[in-house]
Order: sequence, then structure tokens, then C-alpha cells
Amino acid sequence: METKLTDYGIAGKIIRLQHYTHAEVLVEDEIRKGAKTVVIVGNDKTFGYVLSRAATCKITYGFLPVGPDNNIAEVLGISVGVEACDVLARRRKLKLDVGWVNNRYFISQLHIPPSRIEIEYDESFRVSAKSGKMELVVCNLKPFSWSGKGKEYIVHPQDGKLEAFLRPIIKSKIMKRDRLEPPSIFPFEEMVVSSKTPFPVETDGKVSKEMKIKIRLAKSRIDMVVGKGRRF
Amino acid sequence: MFKSNTDEEYNPSYNNNTLAEPDSVETVVGPSVVVEGDFASEGNILVKGTVSGNVKTGKLLTVESGAKILANVKAGNALVSGSVKGNVRVNEKLELTESAQVDGDVSCKILVVAAGALLQGKITMKGIEIENLKNEKKPLRSKVKLLSEKLD
Repeated sequence: METKLTDYGIAGKIIRLQHYTHAEVLVEDEIRKGAKTVVIVGNDKTFGYVLSRAATCKITYGFLPVGPDNNIAEVLGISVGVEACDVLARRRKLKLDVGWVNNRYFISQLHIPPSRIEIEYDESFRVSAKSGKMELVVCNLKPFSWSGKGKEYIVHPQDGKLEAFLRPIIKSKIMKRDRLEPPSIFPFEEMVVSSKTPFPVETDGKVSKEMKIKIRLAKSRIDMVVGKGRRF
Repeated sequence: MFKSNTDEEYNPSYNNNTLAEPDSVETVVGPSVVVEGDFASEGNILVKGTVSGNVKTGKLLTVESGAKILANVKAGNALVSGSVKGNVRVNEKLELTESAQVDGDVSCKILVVAAGALLQGKITMKGIEIENLKNEKKPLRSKVKLLSEKLD
């Protein structure tokens, strides 16, 4: 990959992320030193780790997907491995939307495990589950997949809206076991999730407990180099 | 054995080899979900549960068997197999299957009603020309009146 990048004349400083590296401070520092583009090398976790903090920085981002667990790259139209250098060299730029939840960005997904939550969408309608408990996944760039009736399903999010996937818990008729219903899907721009008891929220790999969260779409927040085969 | 647990765990990662064709995102209201309030979408809407509020879309609205909408409906096209208690206004085609129940006024361009479907309300359809014939008679009457006045 490094040879191919050199062939294209792409070169620059390499910074390795560590556990306590603050991505925003790091990127701001490099902008001051004259950097024009930041290329993230890694998988969905790396991508989310950097951009959830550094989305506010005014710089163009590129992505070189390497290794397993690379689902966002496909949405962006970037092939995993050496071919990603071609996309980076072509420098086809697009402004991407990101999710915003309680004062921080999320790039890939937000996940709330089955909890007694109530959701209000775009201040116009409320959604609740008959049984009380439901799981919520909000997708920005990462596709949502689920299995049911022996099949695997996948929904690719589109840019311009966030997609909420709700799966209420229902009782199985035969074994009386709890199981998740196939998802209800709601595209939205703003939603409020609330509960009387604290519920866990996982955003880009980080878990916190909340009583009320406001999720909205921050439009055209990131300048990103994307491929021709992108899904939006 | 009867421990309460979830069958289908959330799986953030997936294997490309096992996936079906990617679906286009549309609004889906599941059977165990209750929606309260006015509900609008730019894309297709599929209702399998209960919606207590107005439903509006410019595209296709599908109300599955067992689903309920308890308010007015506006859609580009609609396929109803469940129950609707409210007025239904469709720009193009409205199809009621044998399990459909509609209690309200209906307005559409094309109406398909299957045997067994229940419909109670006034039906208004665009493009009807009988009304125009009535309008054409009026000028004739006024002409006759004018002629009789002249003769007098």
C-alpha cells in the first residue's frame, strides 16, 4: 500500500493512534502545521474513533480500509486493501452528514440494547412498543443487518437522513421465550429517546448510561474522499 | 430451558457471503409497534402495526392484514389489506384486498376492490365526465331563455 501511495505521489506524516490519543487535538495540531488532508487507516472502529471527535475540524478526510470489520468502506465506495489508494488519488470529494447525540458526533451506529424506552420523532409522532421493551439502532454510515426466518437481511443507510431500526421484544407462542421482532424502520432528522430508568447507549464503541438523549443529523459536516461505487 | 433471553442478538458485523440483496430503506411500522401522532414520510410506508394519527406519503402506502390506521390517510398509491378508520385520499391507484376494511370517505383516480373488502363512505374519483354534461346544458337553457325574451 505504501509503494502504491508513493507511486501516486501521496506522502506525509504517519501518526499512530494510542488509547489516550485525543483525535480532535491531534488533527487541529496538524492543521496548524499545514496539513490539508487527514487519511484514516484502519477499520470501522478506527474511522469512528477519529471522526467522532475530529468531525468539527475543517480538513478533508480520506480513508484506507485495512483488515477485518470494514463495512463503512463499502458504503463510501472504497475497496479494502491496495485498491483504496486509487480512490484516494482520484480525490473525489463529498460532504457527508454525521449523527449528533448529546454533544458528540457518531459516524457509524448508535445502539441501545432492549430497554423500556419511548421515542419521539421530529416532534411530530411518538413510537412505543406494545410489550414495553425494545432495541434501537440508529445508522449513519454503517449498514444494519439482522437475521430472521433463516435469512440474513441488510439495509444500507442513505445519506441525507438517519435511519432508526426498532425491534420490540415479543413472547414466542410455543416456548414463551423472549425474542426480537423484525425491525420497524423510521428515517428521521431528529429524535428524542427517553425512559424513566437509565438505559445503556453505545456510540462508535463507547458505552454510557442515559435517561434522555437527543439524536439529530448534522448535515454536510465532513469533507470526505469517496469512491465512484458509493451507496448514496 | 425457559430462561428469558433474546433469540436474535444484535449483530453489528456481517459476512458478505451470507447476505441477501440489499434493501432500499423505507418506513416500516412493525406489528408490535404503536405510532401516535401525525406521521409523514417521503418514501414508501409499510404499516403492519397500529398508527393513531394522520399518515402522509407521496409514494406507496401499504397497510398489511391485521394493521390499523385510526386517522386520515394521504398517499400517492395505496394497497390496503388491514383497517383504516378515516378518510383515504390517494392521488393514483387505491387497491383494497379481500381483508381490507375502510370506514371513511375515499378519493382516488383508480379504484380496485376485491370481493370481500368492506368499504363504508363516499367515493370520489377524478376524471369523471358526467358532471361536464350537466354543465353543458346550462348555457343551452340560457340561450333558449334569451331567444324567448327576444321573441316577446
